[in-house]
Amino acid sequence: MAKSKISPVTGHYVTFEVEGEEYRVFYLENGTGQPIVCQHTAGCHNHQWTGLLEDEEFTQNYRIIAYDLPRHGKSDPPLNTEWWKEEYKLTANFFTKFVVAFCDALELEKPIFMGSSFGGNAALQLALHYPDRFEAVIPVEAADYAPGFYLDWWHHPHANAAQVCASGVWDLMAPQSPDKHRWATWFYYTQGSEAFKGDLYFYSVDHDLRGKLDQIQGDKIKVVMLTGSYDYLTTPEDGKRTADQIKNAKFIEMADIGHFPMSENHEVFRKYLKEALSFIGTSATSKA
Amino acid sequence: MTVAKEQQWATSFQEANDTNEELNAHGKFFTCTYLLDMETKKILIQMHAGKVEKITVDPGPLDSYQFAIRASADTWQKFSMPTPPPMYHGIWAASFQRDMKLEGDLIILMQNLRCLTTQLELLRVVGSPV
Repeated sequence: MAKSKISPVTGHYVTFEVEGEEYRVFYLENGTGQPIVCQHTAGCHNHQWTGLLEDEEFTQNYRIIAYDLPRHGKSDPPLNTEWWKEEYKLTANFFTKFVVAFCDALELEKPIFMGSSFGGNAALQLALHYPDRFEAVIPVEAADYAPGFYLDWWHHPHANAAQVCASGVWDLMAPQSPDKHRWATWFYYTQGSEAFKGDLYFYSVDHDLRGKLDQIQGDKIKVVMLTGSYDYLTTPEDGKRTADQIKNAKFIEMADIGHFPMSENHEVFRKYLKEALSFIGTSATSKA
Repeated sequence: MTVAKEQQWATSFQEANDTNEELNAHGKFFTCTYLLDMETKKILIQMHAGKVEKITVDPGPLDSYQFAIRASADTWQKFSMPTPPPMYHGIWAASFQRDMKLEGDLIILMQNLRCLTTQLELLRVVGSPV
């Protein structure tokens, strides 16, 4: 019989409402301890967090939870509306309320929220609007403002949208990242083209915290920002500029990695994540 | 670069393309004509079904193409390094953060984006012609 291995990661569906809309949300989880709620990038899904979900050094002290945002992966669009009659445009208001509702549905007390790209921008929004609900946020590849990516090319009917989305984000990744992980990320992106543009409405248009970062209560909620040196959308300069304006926030530049650090190169990303969690004060080493 | 070296570069690029496993697997519809404007040199590349049909170094004023990718020689040199530095590591990165420009009928570029991305990274194998 061939060798087989069953992962300790488990998947579940949870159904709950956000502003009257009913959602059936799929999430993966593994580990015990302080919850870390993980948001994938725009147009993608929770497989981006597979490396972390199966990393025993983290899962022995943290409950890693990675959900699919509605319209992504195995989370469907709303169950009780005729969503196909409207253009999908993700807003900061919905995004933050969804994350809080998800945490409420799982009865998570003071989780850490970590998101990358549009998830990183959502982390900043959560820090601003819900400082009492989260222990900390880890905005990965985030900035106060990230214009320029809300493009019609992502679903132009004369091109192969799956390939445009996947190859359009190819060089958001660092050339040093292993081919097999870059191509896995590319593959995930071929699956999310229908939502990608609408996600980027939040990322590049609705998300704009310029002039508001000083309102984030950094004494209530810890903020640690991580940015890869190969990220051309939110550069390390953008990340540092953003963190510098948030009280008590920390900025960490990640060398030789790009905009999808957790999926393009978890082995590099994990070192920086440990540093971030250590700063938050709930690191694996401090809890062991 | 002498004419002989230009021809040698074009031959190397064509060989790298035509023997590339990815392009052989996915290039069935990779048919287009585009220009690489490298400031001190221009390269016209004609593709047919994933294979290089013709490479013209410094084409004439009436030679046509569907889209152009323009950047300084310095940008293309960095783009073509085996491990390019940040912001020179792709046409999107260099367009958003450096002096690269994507011009012409960009729908053709988007239709061929997968193969084009793979093909341009062959500059990291054969080197820059500038």
